[in-house]
Amino acid sequence: MLSEKMGRRKFMKNMSSAFLGVATGHLLGSLPFARAEKKPVLEYRTLGKTGLKVTTVSMGVMNCSDPAVLLRAFDLGINFYDTADCYMRGRNEEMVGQTFKGKRDKILIQTKVHAHDEKKMRASVEKSLRRLQTDHIDVLVWHGHSSPEEVSDPNLFEFMSKMKKEGKVRFTGFSTHSHMASLLREAAKSNFHDVALVSYNFTHSKDLKEAVALASQSGIGIVAMKTKAGGYKKAKMGGLSPHQAALKYVLMDQSVSCAVPGVTTIEQIDECAGVMGTSLSKKNLEELKQYQSFLQGRICTLCGGCVGECPYGVARGDLLRTVMYHDGYQNDRLVEEVLEQRQLRQNTKLCSECSSCSVICRRGLDMKAQIRMAEEVLVHLPAAGKQFGVKV
Amino acid sequence: MVMTLFVLVGILIWCEASSGATPLESLIPRKDLPKEWTLIHGPQIYNKKSLFEHINGQAELFLQYGFQKSVFAIYQNKERKENQIEADIYDMGNVVQAFGVFSRFRNEDRPGGFGLDSYLDDHTALFYKSKYFVLLYATESNPDSLRQFSKLISSKILDSSPPLKVLSYFPKNGLKSGSIQYFPEGLLGHKFLKKGFRATYVDDEKESHLFLSVFKDPQEATNALKVYKEDLSKKGKISSANLIPSGIKALKGEDPYQGKVMVLQKGFYLLGVIGFEKEENAENRLAEFVKNVK
Repeated sequence: MLSEKMGRRKFMKNMSSAFLGVATGHLLGSLPFARAEKKPVLEYRTLGKTGLKVTTVSMGVMNCSDPAVLLRAFDLGINFYDTADCYMRGRNEEMVGQTFKGKRDKILIQTKVHAHDEKKMRASVEKSLRRLQTDHIDVLVWHGHSSPEEVSDPNLFEFMSKMKKEGKVRFTGFSTHSHMASLLREAAKSNFHDVALVSYNFTHSKDLKEAVALASQSGIGIVAMKTKAGGYKKAKMGGLSPHQAALKYVLMDQSVSCAVPGVTTIEQIDECAGVMGTSLSKKNLEELKQYQSFLQGRICTLCGGCVGECPYGVARGDLLRTVMYHDGYQNDRLVEEVLEQRQLRQNTKLCSECSSCSVICRRGLDMKAQIRMAEEVLVHLPAAGKQFGVKV
Repeated sequence: MVMTLFVLVGILIWCEASSGATPLESLIPRKDLPKEWTLIHGPQIYNKKSLFEHINGQAELFLQYGFQKSVFAIYQNKERKENQIEADIYDMGNVVQAFGVFSRFRNEDRPGGFGLDSYLDDHTALFYKSKYFVLLYATESNPDSLRQFSKLISSKILDSSPPLKVLSYFPKNGLKSGSIQYFPEGLLGHKFLKKGFRATYVDDEKESHLFLSVFKDPQEATNALKVYKEDLSKKGKISSANLIPSGIKALKGEDPYQGKVMVLQKGFYLLGVIGFEKEENAENRLAEFVKNVK
């Protein structure tokens, strides 16, 4: 299109002129580079018996799309980074190593190893060291323990002890996504583990909270992951965004040393870091609890990932937002506001008549079920429904 | 009653066949295995909820890329039991997302000659074809068997769609082989750039990148360019201009983390070059890129 209109030479001339600041008219001119920005108030906690001082908001690197995000986190003062040997077949570790070259002594790295025979585990650690471009790993955790037997396996512990003695690893622990409470209780009985990486957020049970406290009291440093639980209420709470509120909720538990929210963009790490030095009111916490049941596998986080994927241009986010407002917040006034602003009637009709949906939710939401729920919401809103011509 | 049942089964078979969908389990080789191999585990299916049980936290990345379901199996060498090959076939929903995951996993350009594009080393084979991303892991060095299994699985994926056209938009000169990646969100680490492709170029041992950010419509692309400009003006350095009267917009600046950047809008795309040293090279490359993008 561009080339057809103007040709390469003319394009180059225009680009060069503009970029060199020669073109008249619309240039904004150069601005001071890297302007001073308000940085977050850094909060540190001790990572259990390791004694390491970690920023309460740390970073899960796995979903990180670009080294720029890591550099931003570093500039913000975040000092603890969680990665794994297997993430993208080691490419994630490579990104950490490459990005923090020359900065290694200013950061702490946690990575993982899978349970195998000693030869394979040793090879895995060696590979991690090479990819991370370092001579030591600050925290090495077993990846994905799921049974108390694994947590107290003396063979695994023996290997970890060797790694420590050889200076390859400073501290060790385990990560878990399932049966977390029982694993933490088992870990608290022994002196095996320095750190536990657990899925922990406001949707989790009192039982897990108690187990986290027990493990923490035994000296295990608790690192929380999956802190956002997918997000929730869009309206800000106490000056915090939804993700910030969820993160803050986790950090209000003093048993947690730090959280490693999975971060993809610079904007997200800015948002997460902003949580340090803030607080939630009791009322906010009560609200947070109320939405807990609503969240279970149902909520659209309005991440925008599906925007533009529908060939008919249906804005799924708006449809799903009505479900969230009606079903989760029980606030039909908000639904009506959305209806007033958007062409939801046409969208709903298009969706209900569409035989195959190509829109995919990256958070695992069942889109068809959500659309059905959106239709039901509109049916239950006679006033708004009539206004927009929806059959009621 | 029997007749009704017969008709129902017939309808089901017809529906399956007419949908063109390949049942995921059927992509796992079973009876047609290389003679020295045997299936010892699976096929085991994982869905969005259970994927964490299989690959732990890495499941998040797959979900980000539109993961639908996957099937897993383990093969064992009949003579050497410790010699095993693990196979994972992921249904990623569409070919773009399948390519996306593939592009995040491959380390360098070591094509194995299967699927739409592939990677092969002593222990690992990766490829994508249609909406499937396939990952094979060998416990012992075994590139020949990995290639054999990969070809077998590839042949079972009947969809013969061509490679993504967008990949051909990236100029070849200076392109680091196997460096084009797709990100479903957060291109260049920026939320506002949303989804898109990034490729690495090497000039005099210095790396720079071309990127293509994809939006719903031209207006959304224009808005993103505006946000980009605001972001650079806050955090970096910028000079910006409407380059020509026809409404094509562009900006030039310096990103605090990525280096020098030039971006312009073409339809519902933003195209850019970032991290370069020599402006002339970067401009030439961007111009070729713009010309290629249809």
